[in-house]
Amino acid sequence: MVRFPFTHPEPEEPLLAARGITKRFPGVLALHRVDLDVKAGEIHAVLGQNGAGKTTLMNILFGLLQPDEGQLYFRGQRVHFRSPHDALAMGISMVHQTRKLVSAHSVLENILLGHPGTRGFLNLRTIRREVEELCHRYGFTVDLGAKVWQLSEGEKQWVEILKALYGGAKILILDEPTSVLTPPEVKTLMASLQALVQDHGVTVILVTHKLPIVTAISHTVTVLRSGTVVARLRTCEATEQLLVQHMIGQDISSYSISDLLVEKGRPLLRVEHLSAYNDKGVLSLRGVTFSLHEGEILGIAGVTGNGQEELVQVLAGLRPPASGRVLFDGRDVTWLSPLDRWRMGIGYIPAERYEIASVATLTLVENAALNFHFDPLFSRRGLFNHPGLEKVTRHILSHYRVKAPHLYAQARHLSGGNLQKLIVGRVLARKPKLLIAHLPTQGLDVEATAFLRGKLLEAKAGGAAVLLISEDLDEILSLSDWVAPIYEGRFVAILPREGADAETVGAMMAGLRREEAGVS
Amino acid sequence: MRIGRYELTLEARPTRPALHTALTAFPAILLALALSSFLFLPAETGFLSAYRAVFSYAFANPYGLQATIHRAIFLWLCTFAFLVPMRAGLWNIGLPGQVYVGALAAFAVPYALRMSELSHPPFHPGLIILLMVVGASLAGAALAGFAGILRAKLHVNEILVTMMLNSILFWLVAYMIKEGGPFMSATGEGESFNLPPSLYAPLIRGVPFTALLALVAAGLLDFLFVKTTLGYRIRVFGLNPAAARYAGINPVAISLLVFLLGGAFAGLAGYHYFAAVPGVYKIPGNYGFYGDLAFYGIICGLIARGTALGAVPIALLFAGLSLGARFAQGQFHLPFGVDYALLGLLMMTFVASHFLYQFRIVWRPVATEEVPRVSAGIPER
Ligand SMILES: Nc1ncnc2c1ncn2[C@@H]1O[C@H](COP(=O)(O)OP(=O)(O)O)[C@@H](O)[C@H]1O
Ligand SMILES: [Mg+2]
Repeated sequence: MVRFPFTHPEPEEPLLAARGITKRFPGVLALHRVDLDVKAGEIHAVLGQNGAGKTTLMNILFGLLQPDEGQLYFRGQRVHFRSPHDALAMGISMVHQTRKLVSAHSVLENILLGHPGTRGFLNLRTIRREVEELCHRYGFTVDLGAKVWQLSEGEKQWVEILKALYGGAKILILDEPTSVLTPPEVKTLMASLQALVQDHGVTVILVTHKLPIVTAISHTVTVLRSGTVVARLRTCEATEQLLVQHMIGQDISSYSISDLLVEKGRPLLRVEHLSAYNDKGVLSLRGVTFSLHEGEILGIAGVTGNGQEELVQVLAGLRPPASGRVLFDGRDVTWLSPLDRWRMGIGYIPAERYEIASVATLTLVENAALNFHFDPLFSRRGLFNHPGLEKVTRHILSHYRVKAPHLYAQARHLSGGNLQKLIVGRVLARKPKLLIAHLPTQGLDVEATAFLRGKLLEAKAGGAAVLLISEDLDEILSLSDWVAPIYEGRFVAILPREGADAETVGAMMAGLRREEAGVS
Repeated sequence: MRIGRYELTLEARPTRPALHTALTAFPAILLALALSSFLFLPAETGFLSAYRAVFSYAFANPYGLQATIHRAIFLWLCTFAFLVPMRAGLWNIGLPGQVYVGALAAFAVPYALRMSELSHPPFHPGLIILLMVVGASLAGAALAGFAGILRAKLHVNEILVTMMLNSILFWLVAYMIKEGGPFMSATGEGESFNLPPSLYAPLIRGVPFTALLALVAAGLLDFLFVKTTLGYRIRVFGLNPAAARYAGINPVAISLLVFLLGGAFAGLAGYHYFAAVPGVYKIPGNYGFYGDLAFYGIICGLIARGTALGAVPIALLFAGLSLGARFAQGQFHLPFGVDYALLGLLMMTFVASHFLYQFRIVWRPVATEEVPRVSAGIPER
């Protein structure tokens, strides 16, 4: 029985319960005798660092994985979910950490997909009206006719939640829903979730490692650490500090970043009037100009969707510019191929860890090779230097503290944080002169975030020029030498760090001009 | 599913070493043979002797064995033609068209040299044979490369293009060998001219040299995918094109390259059946049958999961069973189509064994019905 700090009369029956859940993967004990009680009508937060086993536990609740030991109970009845089908039949729906939509189809089609009522005749107009009504009720704004590939990550998430609700979900499992959302989107989501629970009797299981969200909206919180439950609390009884201690089992002050003093080097990158179209054909990068010296970090602060994606892709050679030019190391590289850019010393850490920066079914060694296959050190006369690749991978795993079963594990078996450490380690192992880091710590836990931020500073200390694109104002302000708020495809200003405070930059990110934001 | 106090579930299996994948083929084959026994029920002599007939014809009878080997070489080459683009995530459905164009290119060489069936070669016949082989591969490569370019540059679906090329080439062969066509035989029977004996492909212990070519190619292909940077790039592109672009892999180059390489194998297959198999040495009127046969390359490639050496025994089995079953059909007056039915069963059991290999059926007791209380003693600081 849970012992809450206050006397609680005869605890009500949990709606969904797990008992003694143990799950092993080759070489990893992902969950060890985990108990979980979710009560009807609550927002139940499951808190834990990357790799704590949150996703695994949710996959078990949703029938995607089978536990090695332990049982599930629904309304006091023992249940067995052989597949998500069984869970869905009981009104349990899950929004995954990674999106599961069909890119080429429209939003409405995706919502319909797999819906029990769509077997036979489709009355699209009625369905459209029903879905629109749902959107209206919960305050979502999504263009139902848009194709999924055109949507931002945040918008895709709405679609998945809508899909779950339209499918009649009574228990909604959200796995790290905020990791891809912009701050305003997070606010909307939290408000919608509260409305769902209070007004519509939905029960929400919210997986996260973000404390502010836990304390803001959850009723109960279960903390997982390395596969075991270490705390089970009422949120109103918990403080953020207490939760952190449970979550990482120690104090985080030991990770704080020491400020490294770096000599400013020669100019390395010059970007002139750069513009680019996005996938929908809209000019979303509109004439950006800046230069960057060796040993400098330029932090581009902005809400996702203001042209950052297009800027980094143009710089990486993955998107043609509409106009403008890019000079790197004294050379015009505007039209250079991605490969030539890697060779010249431009390193790129994409925001899309799963979709772009890794190949899920390849081994860790092969994933490391993504940034080395063209390097004469690792390929001689077209043959791979396998011992060399193994060595560099082992080096990355140990220096970047990647928790992995072995070198030949598949990348999809790494948790998000460990995968990101592998990616960052792989790019930095090339010792790039210019590092483009797009949302490098997004969705990562406290420890991994601090660790990777330290690595960015190390790269800077080593003389690299770093372009840091982030939505996290604290991150930008704590790392950058220069801060450029970006809004609708333009830099609102380029401020030296000393002249940039959170309010000013925040206001500029929201579209206020220089004068309005109070900078002379 | 629940049965009393026990229940049955299907679970994903954790890891799959490559060797095990190969071993699953054996039970699949045995099961297919067991299931196919009903095909032989109409045989007066009982199905055991029908089986014996199938196998002894395919693998023990000197004529049957020869035919099996010739057909297997053809299937090997067709399988590789499918398998290389498959590793890059692309579908080469154009095997028949590439086989035809390979055959046409091979026969164009003696035609251009104005060699009739009886004339002496103008220069060393070995050189002419080499020209035929190279011509066939280049023609197959060019045809497939066309689909590859359209795919890479203009994002035109490669399946549609290769399918259309199949029918265009089918009619082109008809035009070339039927009435009045340039390759028509002297007797004008809707076949091509016969190759002069000096251009018959060399035999190694009675087997066309194309066998050696195909087996060496199988080894080289697996080496390519495992050990080389090019093979790595092809695999990355096949598994995640966005990651490939990120990593500096040129998508246009890869798409074109895999189709060129695949097409070259299919063209070679065309050379093999029409210019290297003893007793043929011409493009026969029923060439369409060989085009259809080429599609078995797709099945063998899929069953072998992209490994060329793995495809070698599978294609050999397909070749033998298709011939043996056709023989048994005639021998025992069985209904038409026994050979196709047998191959179909084999395909299904292969697919099923792959499935069972990835998932397992678990049988475990059902636990008690009440929710046990959460164990106490969790620290609550
Ligand atoms: N399919 C899998 N195979 C092997 N190991 C896995 C698999 N899925 C997860 N793991 C491992 O289990 C642990 C828990 O992972 P996960 O549940 O994804 O953590 P979280 O969601 O809390 O970040 C990690 O160490 C991870 O590497
Ligand atoms: Mg997770």
